[in-house]
Amino acid sequence: MKLFKSPTIVTAALVLSLAAGGLNADDRLVHDGEFIVDGKIFGLPEARVYTEDYSGPPVVGDTLTAVPNLAELDYDGNRTHEVRMDVIAQQIEVAPGKFYNAWTFGGSVPGPTLHVREGDRIVFTMKNRSDEPVVITEPVAGGSPFFAQVQANPIQNNQPAVSPMPHSMDFHSGTVAANDKWQTIPPGATIQFDWVANYPGVYMYHCGTPSVLMHTAQGQYGAVVVSPKGGYPTEADREYVLVQSEFYLTEDDYSGGYRYDHAAAMARDPSQVTFNGHVNALHDAPLRANAGERVRLYVLNAGPSGTSSFHVIGAIFDRVWYEGNVENEWRGMQTVLLGASNGAVMDFIVPEQGSYKIVDHEFADAERGAAGTLVAGPRQ
Amino acid sequence: MRTLLIILTLALPPAVAAEDTGIVFIGGGDWGLPIVQEDTGAPGRVDDFLLDVRQVTNGEFLDFVRAKPEWRRDRAPGIFRDARYLSHWPKADALGEGNAAPDRPVTRVSWYAARAYCREIGGRLPTMTEWEYASEKQRETLGVAPEDYAHELFSWYANPGAGALRPVSQGPAPGLGIHDLHGLVLEWVEDFQLVLGRGDDIDLLTGSCGDTARFLPEFDEAHYATFLRFQSRSNYQPDTTTSTLGFRCAYDPE
Repeated sequence: MKLFKSPTIVTAALVLSLAAGGLNADDRLVHDGEFIVDGKIFGLPEARVYTEDYSGPPVVGDTLTAVPNLAELDYDGNRTHEVRMDVIAQQIEVAPGKFYNAWTFGGSVPGPTLHVREGDRIVFTMKNRSDEPVVITEPVAGGSPFFAQVQANPIQNNQPAVSPMPHSMDFHSGTVAANDKWQTIPPGATIQFDWVANYPGVYMYHCGTPSVLMHTAQGQYGAVVVSPKGGYPTEADREYVLVQSEFYLTEDDYSGGYRYDHAAAMARDPSQVTFNGHVNALHDAPLRANAGERVRLYVLNAGPSGTSSFHVIGAIFDRVWYEGNVENEWRGMQTVLLGASNGAVMDFIVPEQGSYKIVDHEFADAERGAAGTLVAGPRQ
Repeated sequence: MRTLLIILTLALPPAVAAEDTGIVFIGGGDWGLPIVQEDTGAPGRVDDFLLDVRQVTNGEFLDFVRAKPEWRRDRAPGIFRDARYLSHWPKADALGEGNAAPDRPVTRVSWYAARAYCREIGGRLPTMTEWEYASEKQRETLGVAPEDYAHELFSWYANPGAGALRPVSQGPAPGLGIHDLHGLVLEWVEDFQLVLGRGDDIDLLTGSCGDTARFLPEFDEAHYATFLRFQSRSNYQPDTTTSTLGFRCAYDPE
């Protein structure tokens, strides 16, 4: 059934939405042309591309965090999120001594994790600031929690860089016309568009500008967690976000340091495979829990080209919601296979005090860095 | 501002002429772009043309701005340039140190401004085909291996050195007698959006995510590095200015 925003169907919309949970359908439709199918909002307005005199924080929004943190949703029902993630270049470290000039959203790889609730609306703004050095390791007024978390755990040693390139943003969590919302903007331009979190899940976002292999391998990706309206059926004691990805780096004969290796990327022969952007990210700052607690992992395999056979040594996933949707429930999983851009929510119960290795069970990837640790304390 | 001495250029061997005039003669030929265009069939024909030996410098562009004050950054209409047009100059009509020094390539110029400059000195922007033809002939003349070409370009994209550009045309002009085709700053061409229409904007399958294979006759690093130049160039807007984008002019033989 299609419901268009017009006076003639307001009553029908009200009846339907009240039956579905009390939200007024008319309130959920913001712009002319928006419509509802099966409770989901489509027909969003065209993206706006413009120039702005903006030099503020490159990440704005109260539910944007640095991995492995996930923001708490301290509101009931749905809300609109004003979210900014600017494109900036940044020198980052992905393994001891291995630095390269990354193309990023917000200055880290992976970029900030956005947390919203199914049905929320996101007004997204992105300025292409690849042409200016932007510092993210100093206190930022008006920025999101992301900055304090990066500064508390600066494992990538983020340093500003300048690398002007056209870029774009593709949210897998959005349902829109890609040629409009995901369009490429040149350095100095800003794009703004709405998307609605119609489906719950753990989603990838990334730059979709050709060649997408290079833009993603350069670091332009991150996770969006869309929590289900009714939550998950279990109560988690701990929640962490893990993003797996490959890096294809080679020593640069011309300027020193490391750079993108296209031949290796095409051959799917990564130099590093990491959780959360550094081979030591989950060793230097291991995940923490206690015996008997239920740990919930929001896992995204960002690729760009590899799969992840995600496994926790010594644990079994009590529940897995593939792609993060409560409808897709699996029980008792030892390993969860994630293709490039697949995500999942995985619960496990910490069996006892000790150390639990988190690995990509494709061991060629684990040997290149796709490993981490959860340290469990005694039963509380 | 450089003067046109086309007759002299045509009469002398290119390297000698280039030193005197700052302009080099490029002999045309049958040639196709190194990436696949949708309407490509047989190789195209490149006519003879003349090309600046070096990129236009801040010093030269300042002369232009003084002669044509409507192109000052504080007077040029906003539709012809974005907000950062010439913003690295300390003043609207004065140069400075580093990237704003007279011998550095002028950057932060829009396509409109670059065109106006070339028109003012009796030239024009090179076409995309002319520029790429010169680039490939230069590579052939210098005997640059495809892998070396690719690695140098990837290195530049990884670290374009935009914070500290070097002066243009250092040392003897290599190959065809052209300086800095690669490795200093990118250059505007007349039809910079030709291949991919208006970047991603033309249709869903042109220039979109993952849609590169049909533009590449070979999937090696060199073709990919070249494609990256086409792609990034195609996503500029004509009012775009960046710290890694300058230009040089071309001329028609008389």
